[in-house]
Amino acid sequence: MSRTSTLQAPAAGPLEGVTATINAAAVERLAAGEPDWLAQRRWRAWEAYERTPLPTTRLEEWRYTDLSRTLDLDALRPAAPGPRGLSPDAWPAELRQAMREDWDAAGHIVEIDGRVVHTDLLPELAAQGVVLASLTDAVHTHEDLLREHLAVEAIPPDQGKFSALNAALWTDGAVLFVPRNVTLPLPVRITRWVSDPAAAYFTRTLVVGEGGSTLSVVEECLSPSFGEQTFCLSATEVLADDNSATHYASLQRMGLGVFHMALYRSLVGRDARTDSLHVTLGASTARLDLNSELGAPGAHSHILGLYFGNEDQHFDHCTSQNHAAPHATSDLLYKGALDDASGSVFRGIIRVAPGAQRTDAYQTNRNLLLSEEASAHALPNLEIEADDVRCSHGATVGQLEEEALFYLQSRGLSRRRAERLVVRGFLQDVLRRRPPGGVTEKVTRAIEEKLRG
Amino acid sequence: MSDAPILRTAGLRARVTEEEMEILKGVDLAIRPGEIHAIMGPNGSGKSTLAKVLAGHPGYEVTGGSAFFDGQDLLELETDERARAGVFMAFQYPVAIPGVSIANFLRTALQARLEDGEELDLFDFQDILLERMELLEMSPSFAERAVNDGFSGGEKKRNEILQMAVLEPSLAIMDETDSGLDIDALKVVARGVNTLQEERPAMAVLLITHYQRLLNYIEPDFVHVIVDGRIVLSGGPEVALSLEEGGYHEHRKLQSTVSAA
Repeated sequence: MSRTSTLQAPAAGPLEGVTATINAAAVERLAAGEPDWLAQRRWRAWEAYERTPLPTTRLEEWRYTDLSRTLDLDALRPAAPGPRGLSPDAWPAELRQAMREDWDAAGHIVEIDGRVVHTDLLPELAAQGVVLASLTDAVHTHEDLLREHLAVEAIPPDQGKFSALNAALWTDGAVLFVPRNVTLPLPVRITRWVSDPAAAYFTRTLVVGEGGSTLSVVEECLSPSFGEQTFCLSATEVLADDNSATHYASLQRMGLGVFHMALYRSLVGRDARTDSLHVTLGASTARLDLNSELGAPGAHSHILGLYFGNEDQHFDHCTSQNHAAPHATSDLLYKGALDDASGSVFRGIIRVAPGAQRTDAYQTNRNLLLSEEASAHALPNLEIEADDVRCSHGATVGQLEEEALFYLQSRGLSRRRAERLVVRGFLQDVLRRRPPGGVTEKVTRAIEEKLRG
Repeated sequence: MSDAPILRTAGLRARVTEEEMEILKGVDLAIRPGEIHAIMGPNGSGKSTLAKVLAGHPGYEVTGGSAFFDGQDLLELETDERARAGVFMAFQYPVAIPGVSIANFLRTALQARLEDGEELDLFDFQDILLERMELLEMSPSFAERAVNDGFSGGEKKRNEILQMAVLEPSLAIMDETDSGLDIDALKVVARGVNTLQEERPAMAVLLITHYQRLLNYIEPDFVHVIVDGRIVLSGGPEVALSLEEGGYHEHRKLQSTVSAA
């Protein structure tokens, strides 16, 4: 399928973000050999990309992240796709290390340089109808599943420049499907490794939990540090059907030099519960767009965020809890510590639609600044159109309390140790809420490494 | 109890950092190992300042005099060095450290006492902690709670006593530990101090208090009355009883006589 069959002439003039790497020819290459519906989906996304301008700081959501200064799309090269079927012995040491820490899983997907190289799933789960596959395989083996859900419900291309870009140019990714009333005994782990400097990576994850299912997913992404800007754009769609329970955790540990952009959106059904934890530790610039849609009564979304910046890292979190139905609840807690000249932005909104009575929705962002140069912008918001709701929001930006440090020092801790203990405690507070197996330990270790650094 | 003092201050003067007015105006105090001293005084007399100055609170600066602890110049030591040398202050208002369990905190504090490169044995630590908690009749689950986070007044003070039990100081300063406690909590604290002192008779205790009540449960060897930054009266337990009858008023008068002289 080629683009000429589907669309009108492109708008005149230079198109923003269309480059030697990001262009129609790239779509063409990916769409070749794909089923028509998918090729069409890519082309429609590409059209949306072309006609959508790059967000500028004039937009509220992008006020503190100036893409014209922080993201150079023109300099990006196409990613050299990782080899298929690379044996684990040949994986990079850092990736193997991350995998060793959590071999205990219901299944794994390992992606290297934008290409899934390994998939495994407990046979008894496969026998119960659980699907864990790379997207490129699933296009052939579970076409209906992708056709029904991929990039149409949770993150369709028309949500913005980058949702369009990902839907047009994704190279691979993961799909997890858990059928009705099936429970995953352990988390599914999706681990991504990126190694090609100055490349652009586009991958996706689709999670579908049918009614009454229980599942847990841990997504981790890693890379070395790069001297040239490397761009990773991922999109994670979580579809949680009626009465299901979904635990999700993402752990972003990219190296410096990476511009990491993650789109995450969960659609939460009637009496369904989603718990998610979003950990941002790596990348020079990290942007997370996180949305939870509470579309039916009894839906519950519990969202935790944790970030720890140092050097000149810049983290921008944009969250929304959208209550479209009555009797739904959502609770968000985002905590971050910022050292050196790092900075963070938290922009969160709770939206309550006119009919969404009896909504319970909370939103809290707490920041701890560890140096004079560190900064944090906290911008919580409410937009409430129903009159019988309980909503609250709060945000704080604070420094280490001298009295707390004195207390610890008076027990024999050096000032440095005392500071580290307070920071650790501040961040650990988020991990007490029991994210999926192994994540707490991993995040704790990653925080320790940064604290020592 | 004829040993050399573990703590000796001479003419100790101090003020709130960068403020003009002195709060301590020359405090002389000698505490020998195993002794229990009580310092009593009205609000604003400087008794709590004395505790904080001895512990090395950064909000206060010493303007004159000296303080020696176990042969070392205490004023030359940083707060954490004082702690590692054996000074412990139970806080009047213990600070919450969210997300840090008591066990983790104490483990870190004990680790800080070891040489670089030495690692605290975690099993040994667990044994010590459990044994200490048993001694103080505390439930082991207490140590899993975040330090002072959401604690009642009584729980905070129990936590101070537990820390003291684990860190085994040679001088324990109790900074108004009794204020705001109901009688049951007060008894728990007193029993803790007494138990620890029975176990380690050389531990010296400095009780800073506004009220005589605490001294019904921890019997001091010496009682000092501090008024306007100076110790105006020192004696045995009977001093506390006389205060109970006459209040601090009498000693204020005494103080003004001293000043006028």
